[in-house]
Amino acid sequence: MIDIIINEWKSLIRNQLFIYSTVFFVLSLSLVSWMGILQQENQQQSQSDAQKHVRKQWENLEAMNPHRAAHYGSFAFKPLNILNAMDGGINDITGNVLQLEGHVQNEIIYSEASQALSISKFGKLKSSLILQYVIPLFLIFLSYGSISKEKETQRIKLLVMQGASIDKLVNAKSISVWIYGLFLLIVTVTIQSILGSTNSEIFKRLAYILLSYGLYYFIITSLSTFLSATLKDKTSALSSILAIWILWTIFLPKIWGNAVEKVHVLPDRKTFKEDMRAERNQGIDGHNPYDKRREELKNKYLAKYQVDSLSLLPINFDGIVMQADEEYGNLVWDKHFGSNYLIMQKQKSLYQLSGLLNPFASLQSASMGFCGTDMIHHLDFLKKAEDYRRVLIKALNDKHAYGGSKTGDWKWTVDSEFFKSVQGFTYETPRISNHLNHYLMDLLFLFCWALLIKVLIRVNAVKINVL
Amino acid sequence: MKNLISVQNIKKSFKNLKAVDNLSLEIKEGEIYGLLGSNGAGKSTTLNILLGFLTPDSGTALINGVDSTGNADEARNQIGYIPENVSLYPYLTGVENLDYFCKLNDISHSPEKLEEFLDKCGLNKEFHNMRTETYSKGMRQKVGIAIALAKEASVYLLDEPASGLDPLASNELSALLRKLASNGAGILMASHDIFRIRETCNRIGIIKNGELLKEMDTSDVSTNELENIYIEYMQN
Repeated sequence: MIDIIINEWKSLIRNQLFIYSTVFFVLSLSLVSWMGILQQENQQQSQSDAQKHVRKQWENLEAMNPHRAAHYGSFAFKPLNILNAMDGGINDITGNVLQLEGHVQNEIIYSEASQALSISKFGKLKSSLILQYVIPLFLIFLSYGSISKEKETQRIKLLVMQGASIDKLVNAKSISVWIYGLFLLIVTVTIQSILGSTNSEIFKRLAYILLSYGLYYFIITSLSTFLSATLKDKTSALSSILAIWILWTIFLPKIWGNAVEKVHVLPDRKTFKEDMRAERNQGIDGHNPYDKRREELKNKYLAKYQVDSLSLLPINFDGIVMQADEEYGNLVWDKHFGSNYLIMQKQKSLYQLSGLLNPFASLQSASMGFCGTDMIHHLDFLKKAEDYRRVLIKALNDKHAYGGSKTGDWKWTVDSEFFKSVQGFTYETPRISNHLNHYLMDLLFLFCWALLIKVLIRVNAVKINVL
Repeated sequence: MKNLISVQNIKKSFKNLKAVDNLSLEIKEGEIYGLLGSNGAGKSTTLNILLGFLTPDSGTALINGVDSTGNADEARNQIGYIPENVSLYPYLTGVENLDYFCKLNDISHSPEKLEEFLDKCGLNKEFHNMRTETYSKGMRQKVGIAIALAKEASVYLLDEPASGLDPLASNELSALLRKLASNGAGILMASHDIFRIRETCNRIGIIKNGELLKEMDTSDVSTNELENIYIEYMQN
């Protein structure tokens, strides 16, 4: 086996076209990775500057009522994982700035696609584009003729007569081309590691990326070589593997994606907002003193402090009402957003199931996941930002309620020392070990595909006619 | 003398076409057998059955007592095969090609030994370390012969081995085959080159439409007589 692999490589590296193609790929991957990392660092810097600016503004707020500050709010900027430079996933179409304020959960805004026509039309040039589409195509071109060429020249008879079994030939030739795919993959990962900032978490993610792409390349090269061995000629082998590749990368993802959206339907934005508003209106209206539920809460607090009038309360009841309103709003949000979250999880799981028919879907899902740019990571950011919003608004409401003011004293203010004491928003991409369960299905399907093709080769090798 | 190749009543048809019809022949140690016939006579089908690439509809084909159909790998292990068109790896040199094909058979020869095989097959030294993309058909053929030789097999199957060789190289090939036979090898050579068959073989069989029509000892016929017999059989 090793002799066949060495021989294949000797032939490859003495082919000038192959050398030029390799130089082209290495340069393209290096350039795209480098540009991606530069762009990433610029974006990261801008976000970091904006986050600092927002924090500075917050810390230097003029003395004001805490509830007014809650309306003033803050901003959470979604940081980009360094591997976003490798696979942008859904980051280009989701926004990256979230306004955090009292009473309301805002939508994340300012997606890159919304600000650049070219991105919305073509997406960004990332190394994942080359790794997922261009390199597999090149691997197909390298392997589709590997056995049929031997058959067409009748060299296969000589090879078999010298003791090389068809099984061994197919395996060795597909492995030779696979090694080339791995080489380009390792080049990308190495450039990413050298140029980008790395830590053990990034290395772990890169290892999983290497595994996912490695398995996918193995599937592509083995299938292409298998077709080359079983089909009549090179043309049949090439057209068959290209048809499969187009089905996997273009048609099946779209067909399956549309089906997933039909099976697990997300409410449209208008319905979602209307349902939220309707349910929210059933709670306490923090700004309406005649609200019925507000009366119930008032009686509860009067009883608690054993007084008969709000003016006798040692606390500011307005802050209590605002927080109760907030908590009710949070429950409504959790219910509706939670339901959406579940639907999105189901959509993702169902989409991942398409890996049964389409290993490319598993690769895409794993690639985005391990680069930290998929829906799971995005939802994690939204959840952490919402958690922070709740902490922030509660801190302001609590200050309003227990900071020393009395009910109805809306002119009571806190100074910047208080605002400084409220912690700013920080977010770190979750550790992949905590999210690995989301991508096990993808890895499993890739592994099963690789195994299936191995078995196909083993079973069919004896039936392949060398004449 | 031991039978190295034994073919008994083999038949092979492709749809309605009879490619080999009840063919029997035996080749002993030290014997060179020439299977003479026109294109489509059944020579290559017979060779492919012996090589284990085709299964006969009936009959048996044995290589040194091993069934070439039922136990193809073991039978192939004893065969040195030279096809009509030897296709080599164009980006490798003659020596590298030879080395690769030997290694496939788990044989590792020193570079000197590999060059010796190429020398023996008449490949000019200056071409040994040149890429075979520059080789003529005859030069590739010589490397093919070297591959078979380096296997040091007991049985040699040759399909139009002199095709593309110049007269001198063809003559050298004949001498080489005779030397192999004198060392105990059994050789089956399929060809339509009457002169080369007459020059090389001990025995000749004329095949037409898959049937072995006539067998004769080379010593019994001159080249001219052989040509007349062949034409007579082909015309009837």
